[in-house]
Amino acid sequence: MRRILLIWCLMIGGFALSMRAQEVELRAPSKVIAGAGFAIATTGHGSATFYLVGPNRALKRTIQLGQEITISGNDVAVSGLYQAIACGSPCANTTFQVLPSAPARLSFLLHPSRVPVSSGNAINATTFVFDRFHNTVLKSAKVDFHVSLPDGPTMTRTGQTTRGITWFEMGSTAKQGRLQIIAAIGETAEPRVIQQVASDACGLRMTAVPAGRYVKLETSAIRDCAGNPLPDGTIVSFTKTDNAGRSTIDTPIKKEKATAQFELTGRARISVACGVALGNELEVGGRP
Amino acid sequence: MKPLILASTLFASACLLVAHLRDTSIEVRAASLPKVILNAESITPRAIEQRTGEMVTHNYAQAWQDMAACVETNRTDLVNDYFTGEAKARLTHLISDQRKSGLRTHYEDRGHEVKAVFYSADGGEIQLEDRAQVEVQIFDGQKMIYSSASPRKYLVLMTPGADRWYVRSLESVGDETF
Repeated sequence: MRRILLIWCLMIGGFALSMRAQEVELRAPSKVIAGAGFAIATTGHGSATFYLVGPNRALKRTIQLGQEITISGNDVAVSGLYQAIACGSPCANTTFQVLPSAPARLSFLLHPSRVPVSSGNAINATTFVFDRFHNTVLKSAKVDFHVSLPDGPTMTRTGQTTRGITWFEMGSTAKQGRLQIIAAIGETAEPRVIQQVASDACGLRMTAVPAGRYVKLETSAIRDCAGNPLPDGTIVSFTKTDNAGRSTIDTPIKKEKATAQFELTGRARISVACGVALGNELEVGGRP
Repeated sequence: MKPLILASTLFASACLLVAHLRDTSIEVRAASLPKVILNAESITPRAIEQRTGEMVTHNYAQAWQDMAACVETNRTDLVNDYFTGEAKARLTHLISDQRKSGLRTHYEDRGHEVKAVFYSADGGEIQLEDRAQVEVQIFDGQKMIYSSASPRKYLVLMTPGADRWYVRSLESVGDETF
């Protein structure tokens, strides 16, 4: 009877020990920084299969329970929720959050690429702040925007990110030319350039010079209201109305001026326009 | 007088439309798509147009449907339809890793409460906060090694393409983020 009892006790003890050996527990920090290696503590005995599953990772390897599992920085470079799982029998798991590291990259979007001068809130700038692994930096960060014209002073405005984004709008200046904006955070700077171009023509005028059966037309220098010359290639329309009807010549500006020539068959009225700007009208006479 | 009446009518119509957009959530609940409810009440710096809101909602639902299919079957061919940039690269990498390890993930998608928080002035980016009810099960072969039904939060960046909105960034974030 005693022998049976002894065997029974040994069996119970052995079973309890083996159950104890199979108990698996994983202990990881609840939060780690992206790219920083760390260790996960394990309990139990024997070997098990370890899995690390995250936003861009699904790793599997054999581990020895009771020893620490080393997780390299590369395996947790992407921020987000990770599951560490160890399967002996049964499986155990723990979850941890990988947080973005320090701001290191900027994605700077500046619109539009060309803008007429003196346009209110026509320029908008949006900046996304990322860490070196391209994770959105959620902690509020300060971004400086250095705004400069070629001949003008540089002014700086500051934006504070919310969920990794900061933005602002501004008007274009009165003078045409390159407008450079540099977004900067720490050692990282992203320059962008907008071309400020002349606005609509202002005070458009032409003169007519008769030349036999023809009349030659030439505008004065075409500029916007701030004195910026309109770029070469901008179309100017000359329109002649006479007894024969109406005819139009569209011609590009060359060196600030536009020229055209009409054949005259009698009295005619000639007008000039550039975009939305209307110029003067002339009455020219010819032989009926 | 007539132009004044016309202008007033147009202005009133525009105000009504904007008010409608601000007060109404957009919901996508097609037969096979995950349920997505978009709320754009506190969006800045500009309001979202009704049609844009519908597109974003629908395309986001399709992105989740595709992602679930991708990680379940470890196929990368669906990644291109609604993902781009970093989100696409990360999902592709995950699928590649899963394939190597013999793993697959099953999403039981119970819906997304999405809040649109940022819509850039030029209409080029929209940021969303997603409170997702997604049950996640991870399998090694036929064996389920992990299961969780806890709600998750995602910070999402979408950008427009030729005919749809793409998920450019999809990051799971901690509870305290929003």
